[in-house]
Amino acid sequence: MTSAVSLLGLRKSFGSLETISGIDLEIDEGSFVSVIGPSGCGKSTLLRVVAGLEPASAGEALVYGEPAISARRHKQVGIVPQHPGLLPWRTVRANARLLVDINRKANGPATSEPIELLERVGLGSFLDAHPHELSGGMQQRVALVRALALGAPLLAMDEPLAALDEITRSEMRGLLNQLIEGRNVTTLFVTHSISEAVALSDRVLVSSRRPARIVADIDIDLPRPRPGDVEDSPRFFELCTRVRHALLESARP
Amino acid sequence: MNRTRFLAPIVGLVLFFSAWELVVRIFDIRPFVLARPSSIVRYMARFPDDYFRASTLTMKHAALGFAIAILVALIVGAAMAASRFVEHATQPVLTLIAVTPFAAYIASVKIGLGLFSDKPVVFIVALVSLPAFSFAAADGMRSADPSSRELLASVDASRWEVLWHLRLPSALPSLFTAAKYNTGLALVVAYLAEGGAGGLGQIGARAIAANQGDRLWAAILSMAVLGTISLVLLNVLQRAVMGWHVSQRPQRD
Repeated sequence: MTSAVSLLGLRKSFGSLETISGIDLEIDEGSFVSVIGPSGCGKSTLLRVVAGLEPASAGEALVYGEPAISARRHKQVGIVPQHPGLLPWRTVRANARLLVDINRKANGPATSEPIELLERVGLGSFLDAHPHELSGGMQQRVALVRALALGAPLLAMDEPLAALDEITRSEMRGLLNQLIEGRNVTTLFVTHSISEAVALSDRVLVSSRRPARIVADIDIDLPRPRPGDVEDSPRFFELCTRVRHALLESARP
Repeated sequence: MNRTRFLAPIVGLVLFFSAWELVVRIFDIRPFVLARPSSIVRYMARFPDDYFRASTLTMKHAALGFAIAILVALIVGAAMAASRFVEHATQPVLTLIAVTPFAAYIASVKIGLGLFSDKPVVFIVALVSLPAFSFAAADGMRSADPSSRELLASVDASRWEVLWHLRLPSALPSLFTAAKYNTGLALVVAYLAEGGAGGLGQIGARAIAANQGDRLWAAILSMAVLGTISLVLLNVLQRAVMGWHVSQRPQRD
């Protein structure tokens, strides 16, 4: 299987503060990989380096064989931030098109018209609404469509469900699974939630305290496509327990 | 509710003009010091074309200067928002323009650009309006949401794209605030700078020279009407282009 993301001895420091300490990692094309770890451990920095928003201090971050910063310039990475970051003056339709409308010469063949995606996520009747007319969950769905419409082969998601209530989070997990399955999109997902990581991922990486290192790499062998009641299965609970133990272990000084 | 909102300003204005009329009659004030509203209206009714033409010209002077100031301020503001060096270099110049009394250099500018020409009037209006617009543009552009800036960076947006899609719309609220402040200022500057260049300023200057109170106050009242019309138009424009902003949405008590 081809590697979508390759990290080779990746290090990142801000001045004297080391945030990532020598990570080697391969992420297969089309897989969904979550990174979980204690607060402030450097997970988001790792995501930003992979998305080409921060240069590595040492080592290499490659996205489909190309340096991450160059992959960003070629619109190979679709970002879903923690806060939707919708532009308040643009309608839902225009917000969903934002990343496609910018740097058009780098648009790939997979770029798609977002209206169909907006309809799939239940926003078909809100196309001309402005962000202030939407709930938090609806805004995050627009942010998701905005990244998917770009047609980028890699999605980088930084705790996109963190600000949502539990019911909306659960709905969004189902929606994410539906949208991503069958698209051959690779996803790197940063989260604090164990159940979220297990419900969505093919692999969960557990990070140490800062500076971040990968201390556990857990395969999630739940069936694909994920059934609606996957979170009620005994295997789901077993995997959550495994991730929780690894996380507690990683947090020990 | 809407009826009250419509009637209240009319009642307020009727009371104000009645009190004015009464005070002038009771204290027998000379027309040059304060003319009666009834005699001002009578005077204007005798020369409606003169006042209409003069008002149109004053409005043209103010609007042209205003438009030039906005255009220059957008360029200056964008440069200030993009570079601290430019900001530090520009700030003292703008402050100097803002604090120097324009009335002191009107004569010099008029001699330099033509005593009976529109040019010095438009130039002074633009110059006096420039600082507020430039500071507003720079502050507004700099206040653009950092997560949105990062989102645009994730698809390698050009400086122009960031300016057009993010910085400029972010600056609209502060630009409109500056525009409301500058509207009155631009009209006052145009009035004082007009002299021989026509407009209400010329009527006012000639009325003072000829000691004609009714004529002077007719020009002053016309200025007040122009100012009110300008502010109403500005509010309508603001509602049209900034309907998405919290300040333009219906407020709950």
